[in-house]
Amino acid sequence: MSAIVEARGLTRTLPLDPPVTLVDDASFAIAPGSFTAIVGPSGCGKSSLLYLLGMLDRPDDGTLLIEGRDTTPLSGDARARLRLERFGFIFQFHFLLPELTALENVSLPMRRLGRLDRHAARDRAHMLLSELGIGEKTAKLPGHLSGGERQRVAIARALANDPVLILADEPTGSLDSVNSQRVVDTLHQVAGEQGRAVVCVTHDGAIAANADARIEMLDGHIVAGGTMAAS
Amino acid sequence: MSGRLNLLAGLAFKHIALRKRQTLVAISGVAVGVGFFLAVSALMIGSQTDFIKTLIDAAPHIIISDELRSPTPQPATLAYRGGAVAIRHQKARTEVRGLKDWQEILRAVDDMPGAIGSPSLTGGITLRLGGREEAIGLVGVEPGIEAKVSTIEDNLRVGRLRDLETVQGGLIIGEDLAQRMGLQMGDVVGATSAVGGTRTLRIVGLFKRGAGQLSASSGYVLLREAQSVLGRPFIINRIGVRLADPYAADDVAARLERRFGYKAESWQERSADFLSLLVTRNVIMYSVVSAILLVASFGIYTAVSTSVADKVRDIAILRSVGFSEGDLQLTFVIEGLALAAVGIMLGWLLGYGLMTILGSLDFSINGEHQSLPLDRSARQYAIAAAASLASGVLAAWLPARKAARVDPVDILRSAA
Ligand SMILES: Nc1ncnc2c1ncn2[C@@H]1O[C@H](COP(=O)(O)OP(=O)(O)O)[C@@H](O)[C@H]1O
Ligand SMILES: [Mg+2]
Repeated sequence: MSAIVEARGLTRTLPLDPPVTLVDDASFAIAPGSFTAIVGPSGCGKSSLLYLLGMLDRPDDGTLLIEGRDTTPLSGDARARLRLERFGFIFQFHFLLPELTALENVSLPMRRLGRLDRHAARDRAHMLLSELGIGEKTAKLPGHLSGGERQRVAIARALANDPVLILADEPTGSLDSVNSQRVVDTLHQVAGEQGRAVVCVTHDGAIAANADARIEMLDGHIVAGGTMAAS
Repeated sequence: MSGRLNLLAGLAFKHIALRKRQTLVAISGVAVGVGFFLAVSALMIGSQTDFIKTLIDAAPHIIISDELRSPTPQPATLAYRGGAVAIRHQKARTEVRGLKDWQEILRAVDDMPGAIGSPSLTGGITLRLGGREEAIGLVGVEPGIEAKVSTIEDNLRVGRLRDLETVQGGLIIGEDLAQRMGLQMGDVVGATSAVGGTRTLRIVGLFKRGAGQLSASSGYVLLREAQSVLGRPFIINRIGVRLADPYAADDVAARLERRFGYKAESWQERSADFLSLLVTRNVIMYSVVSAILLVASFGIYTAVSTSVADKVRDIAILRSVGFSEGDLQLTFVIEGLALAAVGIMLGWLLGYGLMTILGSLDFSINGEHQSLPLDRSARQYAIAAAASLASGVLAAWLPARKAARVDPVDILRSAA
């Protein structure tokens, strides 16, 4: 089976004085249905790598293939479209729109994609939130939810358009252990559903230990696991 | 596509609802701008229309007179046409003044659809009563025709133009002149001209005070009477023309002048000074009014700018979800559009209210009640709306572009 994402020598350098290299010559592949952990000390470039994978940032060098397709020539709009259709982001902080309810936040990507009408989008959002155990809080604004609940809303939003890849950046970083466990369980649960892969940046040893693959970074370099997933 | 618009508009409205004070400032800015635009332009255009109407009606649309733009060449000059001869100090041939082929000119005018020409003879005479003398301009007209060509009938306080026909030696003068000479309706006054003899005329009508020269120093008599008093039988020196379309006067006058050689002056030419003044006035008005609308759009700029600044985090989130740069730009442009739209509607109400107040003002000039001439056409509402929408979109577009250019990675990094 071909990789969902394949990085070939991805390099990202900030044009500062002196230049700061965030990611240096990263090569690896993410297999469908896999759960990949990216680990490494703080500031080693894990988030930067994730932004490159999610096409929020462009590499200065190297190529990124999404489902076998070179993303280098894609326009900003095409990247946004691909992100909308195929990817779901989860961040350390929930990053929900504060003036929208949980249900509206989850509906957002579906309504933008436009494949489901308003009602169908609401129904699906409701279903996703229920599956994540917060079906009774759909009408609440993020400000009225606990940290763990917000993160579950964010996961539901990431799953809204049924993506092939979930990109999570320290999703448990601001949660207590009980909530962390729930989030980790959920991520493991959604990985593998219809070949969906999860890439998760984490400090949590338990998450890393349970992952199918591990990428270890240090100072912008991949020091272990990089080429291993390239099956 | 409409689903996308709905979604983005929904986000825009959420932003607007969030910042009530700035929204209020932006909306009322536009409303005041539109309201005053309507009031000012209604006044300016209304008074201009009124003024032009007065100009058009003040005298016939075209006046053909026995003046020539350039004097007829003297016979000696014609005799040596093309020759290298300059003739000086020739004895000028005396011409009999008056429109020579006036019957033909009149026929040409009356043949134009809706046009009518009124022949008249003007000349200076002196009115005498007791020891008092007043020099006036005497105008001899055919009352039935003149009434159709000019509005002097409207300027009569007492009597009618037709009365000239029924009373032997009938004369209409102004109230001002009558007062100066101590004349009343029905009084008799002596009239002397340079060439003719002395006549006795009888007052059969009075022009209103304030009708300018008409009231101060003019006298109207029958054409026949004028020809006799002035000693110029069968001669006329003026044809007043009324056209179906007053705005064609310039062209028609030029045509008549080319054909007959006599000076044909249109009301536009006659009022060229005033008309160029109106152009200046319009330039001033539109500058002021555009400035009002421009300033009004500053409120929108500020509102959308702060909205963008407040929402950079949301912008980054939406970008990470898969919204495009265009989506975000559009969201904030819609924000500005919505503010402008609400402001325009309130501005229409305000403008309508201001016009109602202005329209109800009542001025008393020379004992006559007058209200301000206002142009209340729907066109002005449309212009105000279009201009405000355009400046609103522009004012929103600048910060919206900034929203589209927010780099989500910068925001995500600094939030982490
Ligand atoms: N704008 C910037 N200017 C200077 N250094 C930066 C900038 N952005 C990121 N960095 C540096 O890049 C490195 C990688 O950051 P990041 O990818 O967030 O690491 P991680 O997610 O592994 O903690 C860090 O050392 C950070 O200090
Ligand atoms: Mg990080």
